[in-house]
Amino acid sequence: MHNSQLKFIYLSLLLAFICLLIPWSGIALWLRPDFMLLVIIYWLLRAPNQCNVGTAWFVGLLVDLATGGIFGQYALAYTVTTFVAVVYQRRLVLFNSTQQLVYVFSLLILSQIVLLILKTFAGTEWLGWAYFLPSITGVLIWQLAVTLGLNTGRHSRGS
Amino acid sequence: MVQDFHQNFEHQQAPAFFARGPSPFARLVFFAALSLALIATDSRLQYLASIRENLMVLLHPLQVVANAPSQLYQFTNEYFSTHHRLLNENAQLKKQALKQNVALQRLNILTLENANLRDLLQANKTLVESTALAEIMHVGRDPFAKKIIVNRGTNHKVLAGTAVVDATGVIGQVTRTYPSSSEVTLITDKSLAIPIQVERNGLRAIAFGHGRDNTLDLPYLPANVDIQRGDKLVTSGIDGVYPVGLAVATVSEIKVTPDSPFARIVCIPTGGIENHRQVLLVSMPQVKVLTHDNNPNSTNNSKTPTSNTKNNVEKTQPQKPKETTQEQNPNKPQPNNPNKPHA
Repeated sequence: MHNSQLKFIYLSLLLAFICLLIPWSGIALWLRPDFMLLVIIYWLLRAPNQCNVGTAWFVGLLVDLATGGIFGQYALAYTVTTFVAVVYQRRLVLFNSTQQLVYVFSLLILSQIVLLILKTFAGTEWLGWAYFLPSITGVLIWQLAVTLGLNTGRHSRGS
Repeated sequence: MVQDFHQNFEHQQAPAFFARGPSPFARLVFFAALSLALIATDSRLQYLASIRENLMVLLHPLQVVANAPSQLYQFTNEYFSTHHRLLNENAQLKKQALKQNVALQRLNILTLENANLRDLLQANKTLVESTALAEIMHVGRDPFAKKIIVNRGTNHKVLAGTAVVDATGVIGQVTRTYPSSSEVTLITDKSLAIPIQVERNGLRAIAFGHGRDNTLDLPYLPANVDIQRGDKLVTSGIDGVYPVGLAVATVSEIKVTPDSPFARIVCIPTGGIENHRQVLLVSMPQVKVLTHDNNPNSTNNSKTPTSNTKNNVEKTQPQKPKETTQEQNPNKPQPNNPNKPHA
């Protein structure tokens, strides 16, 4: 069972990575949700034994490679985010779907804030509030997935 | 180190049946430290450049897969483009070709005349640059940086520092090369500077990218500088990166505030930075540094027509156009107005 789950984890991460590599441009680039982080959060809630802070760090490195930025930025942002996610993971079974949505949204925002701090140290300018749009689209995609019947770990105790 | 961490956090853990290896906090500390070390290494030292290059090769197949849908869309779009549109486009292109032919005839005469005059003056001949066509693969994924990725790389002998232009003007400069692609930093990026010259009066300055919106700044020019709205800025060519006389930007706004000795000049780039697919990589021929004692014939590069020259052309650093000014580079020929063919 675990092996098949691991396969699913890798497959979904690969798909998310290809989504990231799609040539986004213009407004789409601004709206592009952080697919990799969404997938990681999903697996953190669903299978915390297989997917942890280390996985997130490696995935972050991949994203760093793909974006062409300085190595370690996304890695650090994902590490911090997944740490928070893991700490509250056991409490999550008590959340209802709205609470869970807020929780995911704050995780996405957290990763963006960490990234923004790192970028500001590197000397880039504040891009305006539109910088946080990917978190909103990310949460919308999460809700869409939940509506379509994705089990986000709230009832996984029984299975 | 890691072992210590693990041991320290071992006794804080939940009972064994909840065990998940080292605690999340230990992992956080370990991986955060690792990321910070990576950030420091990558931003201050250059060790990771070649590693990144090799890893990008591994990513290439995935990139091709990701690009497939949009390329398929474009292909079908082109395939099913209407007869009418093609006819229209053909007629338009013929008209354009006719116009350009006329201009080209004048240019031939001017080039000849220019060569003669240069011979008379025993000045350097203008260098012939080599060009290569490249296609934009995708826009950079980092919203903080203005970058594009094109489909020519070290396999096609693209070097970092190559100028990138399109039909309407300068777009940017190659800053990173991978085996089959390279990264172009646009002139609107905050980290890129380009030496320019005002076409109207030959005033030289350096334009910096603004970073946030698609504009260029002309900083450090005094408030009484002779620049007007609508002035065209062209490359001055003194950097050895960009060929002389390519359109860069048009001045759109000049703000003079009483509390600052400098004018704030905003320019809009002429190159279709956001809306073209094909770009041209223009590499200046590599010129060897000659000293006066050397016999020019023995050290001549075959590509560069520098025979019978008295002045020597210095090879300038292609990566840093902002440091080169005319004063530092007195040997380069600087005719008063190199942009006559445009007039």
